[in-house]
Amino acid sequence: MARKLPLDELSTVIARIQGLLLTEEKVDRAVRLLARAIKDSVSGATGAGVSILDSRGRRTSSASTDEVVTRADALQYDLGQGPCLTAWAMEETVIVRDVVTDPRWPDWTDVVRDMPIRSVVSTPLIAEQECIGALKIYSDRADAFGDEAARVLELFAAPAATLLANIQASEAPHRISEALAESLHSRDLVNRACGILMQRHSLTVDMALAELMRRARRQNSTLGQISADIVAGIPAALE
Amino acid sequence: MGFDPHEPQQQRMLAAALKSARVNVGELWLKYFSLGGEVGEYEVEAYLQGLLSLPVLQRDLLAMAANELIDKFPQGHAPYSDELGSPDGESPRKEPGSGSQQRPESED
Repeated sequence: MARKLPLDELSTVIARIQGLLLTEEKVDRAVRLLARAIKDSVSGATGAGVSILDSRGRRTSSASTDEVVTRADALQYDLGQGPCLTAWAMEETVIVRDVVTDPRWPDWTDVVRDMPIRSVVSTPLIAEQECIGALKIYSDRADAFGDEAARVLELFAAPAATLLANIQASEAPHRISEALAESLHSRDLVNRACGILMQRHSLTVDMALAELMRRARRQNSTLGQISADIVAGIPAALE
Repeated sequence: MGFDPHEPQQQRMLAAALKSARVNVGELWLKYFSLGGEVGEYEVEAYLQGLLSLPVLQRDLLAMAANELIDKFPQGHAPYSDELGSPDGESPRKEPGSGSQQRPESED
């Protein structure tokens, strides 16, 4: 009897897994394009950057429009302080009107003092209540950014966070593969148990499955457990 | 829906059980597939919306998949076809398999 298996769905599941296995290259490209779009959208910005951080504040991916931004950004993570780390940790937008006079990150301002960086805005990337990184814009002039620039950056942050969180989910494919493997294993088990009942009691496949379900309900067990008992040849299950 | 007068009720109660336990169609379908289910996720979704009729065995298998998924939510029990009153007026059973002597009919 030719039975049509729902293989379309199975291929969808597999496609979903493969779709999630984005290469690091793709993430970097997405982040780079985002940085460029931000720079072009905020007036007065001389550079923009995006950092993706893991749960311990370590950078997993980043992109900047300019070398200056790359260096200033790297220094933050080396020193463990700076506006982006604060934005990430506090989960709120940080505005630095003048790097030279702002007292919040003395080590960092010390080293960027000679770079063409005077004002900064950084906003956290929050996806599903989890902060996954920060966006930042830099200017070589003091007082270049106010609340308006902060608002524009925040507008970018919401959709960017959602997209980047999905690209990022490196553990997800593994979890999905496990669920799929488990499901295929369980299905095999049920089918084997059906086969045993069919042979033993001269049943059709539907009758065998209905019988398995009846036993699972009567014994207050699961279909998987009942099937496993039958396949394992546990005598009570074979009556 | 099909000719079984209880199908709409079974379908509605399954949908309600899933909703109250916050189980989505994808999760239900994967569980149902793992129990040997034969129709696709698309059909399951259509069934849950009352747009498609399914054979009684597949409906009961969906109920079983739901019940195994929402074991922790007793209020979310999805009924099997033989728990709903039979056409000749037999009273519905409340608990799955309680004192059930009746062998499920062969379906399809």
